Amino acid sequence: MSVTFDNALLESEERRTLRASVAALGRRFGREYFTTAVREGRQTDELWQEAAKLGYLGVNLPEEYGGGGAGLSELAIVLEELGATGCPLLLLVVSPAICGTVIARFGTEEQKRRWLPGLADGTRRMAFGITEPDAGSNSHRITTTARRDGDTWVLTGRKVFVSGVDIADATLIVGRTEDARTGRLKPCLFVVERETPGFEFRHIPMELTAPEKQFQLFLDDVRLPADALVGDEDAGLLQLFAGLNPERVMTAAFSLGMGRYALQVAVEYARVRQVWKAPIGAHQAIAHPLAQARIDLELAGLMTRKAAFLYDAGDDMAAGEAANMAKYAAAEAGARAVDQAVHTLGGNGLTTEYGLASLLTASRVGRIAPVSREMILNFVCHHTLGLPRSY
Amino acid sequence: MSLRIVVCVKYVPDATGDRHFAEDLTTDRDAVDGLLSELDEYAVEQALQIADAADDAEITVLTVGPEDAKDALRKALSMGADKGVHVEDDDLHGTDVVGTSLVLAKAVEHVGYDLVLCGMASTDGTMGVLPAILAERLGVPQVTLLSEVAVADGTVTGRRDGDAASEQLQAQLPAVVSVTDQSGEARYPSFKGIMAAKKKPVESLDLSDLGIDADEVGLGGAWTKVEDAAKRPERTAGTIVKDEGEGGKQLAEFLVSQKFI
Ligand SMILES: Cc1cc2nc3c(=O)[nH]c(=O)nc-3n(C[C@H](O)[C@H](O)[C@H](O)COP(=O)(O)OP(=O)(O)OC[C@H]3O[C@@H](n4cnc5c(N)ncnc54)[C@H](O)[C@@H]3O)c2cc1C
Ligand SMILES: Cc1cc2nc3c(=O)[nH]c(=O)nc-3n(C[C@H](O)[C@H](O)[C@H](O)COP(=O)(O)OP(=O)(O)OC[C@H]3O[C@@H](n4cnc5c(N)ncnc54)[C@H](O)[C@@H]3O)c2cc1C
Repeated sequence: MSVTFDNALLESEERRTLRASVAALGRRFGREYFTTAVREGRQTDELWQEAAKLGYLGVNLPEEYGGGGAGLSELAIVLEELGATGCPLLLLVVSPAICGTVIARFGTEEQKRRWLPGLADGTRRMAFGITEPDAGSNSHRITTTARRDGDTWVLTGRKVFVSGVDIADATLIVGRTEDARTGRLKPCLFVVERETPGFEFRHIPMELTAPEKQFQLFLDDVRLPADALVGDEDAGLLQLFAGLNPERVMTAAFSLGMGRYALQVAVEYARVRQVWKAPIGAHQAIAHPLAQARIDLELAGLMTRKAAFLYDAGDDMAAGEAANMAKYAAAEAGARAVDQAVHTLGGNGLTTEYGLASLLTASRVGRIAPVSREMILNFVCHHTLGLPRSY
Repeated sequence: MSLRIVVCVKYVPDATGDRHFAEDLTTDRDAVDGLLSELDEYAVEQALQIADAADDAEITVLTVGPEDAKDALRKALSMGADKGVHVEDDDLHGTDVVGTSLVLAKAVEHVGYDLVLCGMASTDGTMGVLPAILAERLGVPQVTLLSEVAVADGTVTGRRDGDAASEQLQAQLPAVVSVTDQSGEARYPSFKGIMAAKKKPVESLDLSDLGIDADEVGLGGAWTKVEDAAKRPERTAGTIVKDEGEGGKQLAEFLVSQKFI
């Protein structure tokens, strides 16, 4: 992987050009395109395909498998900038960032050749399923289990809230296998193609204005070939974390984009909306919170770039802490920016026409997924501050 | 033999920024961020399409402008052009269209060309005459304001849409062509294009490299002199006519009072 080791504070010319180019593409589609697609129950496929054609969707994947040969820093830029124009592509969080990364780092040559070119050029997509009805924040309680049967695997379990299963060619499922030596269950990753017998998914209605849907998964004796297992059976946890750090950074980018979009709508409105003598943007009660939102987004953006930088530099340990902090900061900044933006528009903040109200729920996602705000605070308590555990 | 295309691209102040004049009444280029003139992106796009259709072609993007004008070249290179030429010289400050065309003509000859492509007008100067003067200086045919263009067998053909009619034009290469914003949406730089752009060569030239005397260009050499410049008056709030039965009448009265009717 050729990584551009430039300063996380000041982006290189290439990264700035990438930002500007992705933003220009996003603006051509715009929020209206996104909300229309949602209303009509369509995916934002035209945008996906256009971004794919320009090589934006696989910037982080290795060049030899059709990717851009850059890193997570670049992929986060793509998602943030699309989000800032009001049309984020949620599947970037899972398809190239988690699944692409895990396969590129731990897959066999055959698995890489099978999946990476499609994930890189956007012709194929992969969802990611870890959450279970009884194992959300507590992923130690995952019960989806794989058992060996000859040279096949048989996978059984339940998953919940998995995004984009209907539009993904396959889902990367986190399951467990029994350790032959100790009898303990250890996590491992399986690629389950959508049409595999025994694999079923049911849509969970959500109050989110988004084209991508969430699903409950039912895996009943799903028989998988031996090579459905990605990577080493004994290094499952390590491999899992290799994919989860990018997920956190990408979730941060998602929140940042949404926050920037909402802030921009609010600022444009505050500049022209006049209730008394001056535009409302001149009243500091309206202006200062917008300035604070901008500062918070800027700071969270900086942390996100640091996390991506560490990840791209190959320091998984340091990236883990930074990615958690970035996700936390960006989710908070994004949610606050949306909240303030809605308020800035007064009654219009809640109209369908201005489209900000639906972001109120959407901006909460970053606080809950992929790990909740509390679980990040727990992590910082234990890992960073060395405080005792309550659980 | 390879088709040599030179695209003239201008680095202009961002039109969405707050643009001002400097003390000497030239455009203040430090106050706002600059970028590749949007209308010149269409010229780059057409060059890329012509190059794709040709067996063998090389696209040079050429700009006359300050240090930062390199950004405009990089953008064009990231879209897919092969190399850049940047003419930069302190003595160029204040150069008018006559001087700019002289510099561009010398630079185009220095590079070597079969086809020169320009935008329809810059988004700052907007004179729209540069391509014509450039063709005159080079002594080659000019086919301007095309909304469709193609090159085959040493000939350039294209369509110029006028108010009353569309003309089909044709010229022998070498020639100068300008294209309009109707010629086809410019592509966005691909990620590969962005990464490749930095490695593409950019040649820097000054006036002496091109054999141009300082007094032929700059404010001193300009044929036009800007005597005065004033800020555009603030837009006024306008008059809102509320229709409470008499709306039509009030509207007509307003139009009469402003001498519109
Ligand atoms: C829009 C959306 C998309 C999603 N997409 C995916 C996907 O693609 N794939 C996937 O696998 N999952 C996905 N998820 C699931 C998501 O990762 C989980 O919802 C998340 O991990 C939280 O788990 P939970 O919902 O079970 O909450 P719970 O674990 O039940 O937590 C409930 C609340 O209790 C708090 N809590 C729990 N434990 C503690 C503690 N020890 N200390 C303090 N507070 C605690 C939590 O912070 C939370 O506020 C998605 C979720 C959403 C909303
Ligand atoms: C007195 C005076 C002083 C000026 N001082 C300056 C100055 O200090 N700095 C400055 O930058 N401008 C200056 N200008 C403006 C500058 O001369 C014109 O912008 C320039 O000559 C081209 O005219 P235009 O932009 O109207 O071109 P147009 O005819 O509108 O442009 C048509 C096409 O010509 C090409 N083109 C135009 N300019 C360039 C260029 N520079 N490089 C490459 N291709 C180009 C592009 O393809 C463009 O789409 C000055 C003008 C005057 C009258």
